[in-house]
Amino acid sequence: MKRRQFFKTAGGISLVAGSGLEPLLMNLYAFEEKANLSKVEALYYKKLSDREIECLLCPRYCKLGDKERGYCGVRENMGGTYYTLVYGKACSINVDPIEKKPFFHFLPRTNALSIATAGCNVNCKFCQNWEISQARPEQVEHYDIPPSEVVDLAKKYSCPSIAYTYTEPVIFYEYMYDTSKEARLKGIKNTVVTGGHINPEPLEELTKVVDAIKIDLKAFTQDFYTSYVRGELQPVLDAIKIVHKSTVWLEIVYLVIPTLNDSPNEIQNLCRWIMKEIGPDVPLHFSRFFPMYLIKNLPHTPLSTLEKAYKIALSEGLHYVYLGNIPSHRAESTYCPNCKNKVIQRIGYQIKKIELKEGKCKFCSNPIPGVWT
Amino acid sequence: MVSKVVLIRGKGVLNGDGDIDQKKLLSMYTRGIQALLNQQNPKENLLLLFRRNDKVGIKINTIAGKMLSTRPEVSLSLAKLLSGSGIQQKNIIIWDRTNRELRAAGYRLNIKGSGYAIFGTDTRGVDYNPRLISHLNIGSLFSSIQSDWITSSISLAVLKDHGMAGVTAGMKNYFGTIHNPNKYHDFNCDPFVADLFETKLIMKKHKLSILDSLVVQYHRGPSYHARWAEKYEALIFSLDPVAADFVGWQVIEKLRAKKGLPTLKEEDREPTYLKTAEKKGLGKANRREVKIIEEEA
Repeated sequence: MKRRQFFKTAGGISLVAGSGLEPLLMNLYAFEEKANLSKVEALYYKKLSDREIECLLCPRYCKLGDKERGYCGVRENMGGTYYTLVYGKACSINVDPIEKKPFFHFLPRTNALSIATAGCNVNCKFCQNWEISQARPEQVEHYDIPPSEVVDLAKKYSCPSIAYTYTEPVIFYEYMYDTSKEARLKGIKNTVVTGGHINPEPLEELTKVVDAIKIDLKAFTQDFYTSYVRGELQPVLDAIKIVHKSTVWLEIVYLVIPTLNDSPNEIQNLCRWIMKEIGPDVPLHFSRFFPMYLIKNLPHTPLSTLEKAYKIALSEGLHYVYLGNIPSHRAESTYCPNCKNKVIQRIGYQIKKIELKEGKCKFCSNPIPGVWT
Repeated sequence: MVSKVVLIRGKGVLNGDGDIDQKKLLSMYTRGIQALLNQQNPKENLLLLFRRNDKVGIKINTIAGKMLSTRPEVSLSLAKLLSGSGIQQKNIIIWDRTNRELRAAGYRLNIKGSGYAIFGTDTRGVDYNPRLISHLNIGSLFSSIQSDWITSSISLAVLKDHGMAGVTAGMKNYFGTIHNPNKYHDFNCDPFVADLFETKLIMKKHKLSILDSLVVQYHRGPSYHARWAEKYEALIFSLDPVAADFVGWQVIEKLRAKKGLPTLKEEDREPTYLKTAEKKGLGKANRREVKIIEEEA
């Protein structure tokens, strides 16, 4: 139940404009602090003079005075020490099929215990989770759930992995990092669903404790990142390269938005960059856009546009290209790049058939990269 | 057309301990409003701006703690002037975004008791209006106080230097009405300050800008730093929100120059949002079209 609905049904009053303050005031609850926020010292920041700090977690490098918060809204300078306010404060916990993230080459047919806190370090105008990503932590209900309990939940619901997802896990870095370490001790894998807007040092450290990262590459032009993301493209490209160099499994999602980032030229440039920098075996998902949040004046992505992107990617040499949010399309399935047989059949998040043997195509024994067990 | 800005100095309004001389403060208010609105009868002045049945929100600024927030004496004195003009006490609210910040600034919260309402958006049952308001670069939820409760608004902000915007004053004070102000600090908060002010929920309700300049943080704001806070002992009044901020900016530059500090432009944080606001027709931000009336109360 969303927070506002909760308060409406729990006895909060409905406010009628122009009805006068007095009757409304009489019915209000007593004052309560809405949120019990955490106060755990943040990682990756440096102290400056006069109680100021500079955050080093993401490319924004927020410089903050006392009592100020970073762009993400969940990290605050208190008297010259920087704190995360969302450690152990998950606002969303679900069990999702791993294919929903989407991870198509990582533990197929399993569930991921998926968690998020409020906050984000960008402001994508098409964010599907804006109600929590663009909120400050005191504006959303949350569960007090420390790392060990997250891991216990994963075990309880038979999830072989935990997914840090929905909002932007970079901003709840400490919580994600500590939970990942605990999860590893209990044999649970860790996956990260992120926009990749993170600095190299924390990312490199993170790759030591997680197992798979999916990066949302929003576009392949800085203009788009400036106007529609409020972020930087280059750090995301750098992040992709860092993850690829590590032992962490990598997949990339590109949300195709009509007229904004869907030009064949841009898609081609993207694919050429991928081929050059990280090679043909990184799965690339082109996802269909639906009107959302602050972009409601555009239609959803036409199938023809997505299929064009799909063809461009294959013709540029990428081996594993998928189309997302189009249930039953053939491009949801995995094909062996060698013999072209279908090795994983998918419909939506469901896997109908897997034709792999020890990570190789059953038909021609070509290795299909991924983490299959 | 020239925009009038009235700057009232009240020498001695803060005593040695920093406590406020209430009588002096009241005379600063009375003189400022009179000079701005020109009615001899003080009660009639505010009725030029507000109807008797208006629900008036006094949006204050309590983010920086007790040393640099709109003080209770300052906002309550204004509230008293409003109710003295015929606006019902029960229809006046002094507010900011969180109860925690209000308390830290020295406020005694009040919802049901007699007296002026004083509480934050995060009070249970208040919250943000769930309707997403999208205007140019703004996409935000508004405090239901701003969206549903009040019909008119006074911005009673503290005049401060700001590390990104250059200046935080009456216009940026409205960042406290939305749920995600942290998203609007890129590019020196420009065009966000102007875009936000231009939303119907702000622009149509805003009636008066008063910059609390009793203590002005002229460097390293918006946090409090005693070393760069000056006991300026002034209030700045204007019907033009841009002109009020423009004059506030000039005050900050003067104080900075006095201490040998570089200009905001030299520090790469000139308040460019003022020019943006001026281009939008929200007010005046140039010396030719802003007339400053400076008096001593």
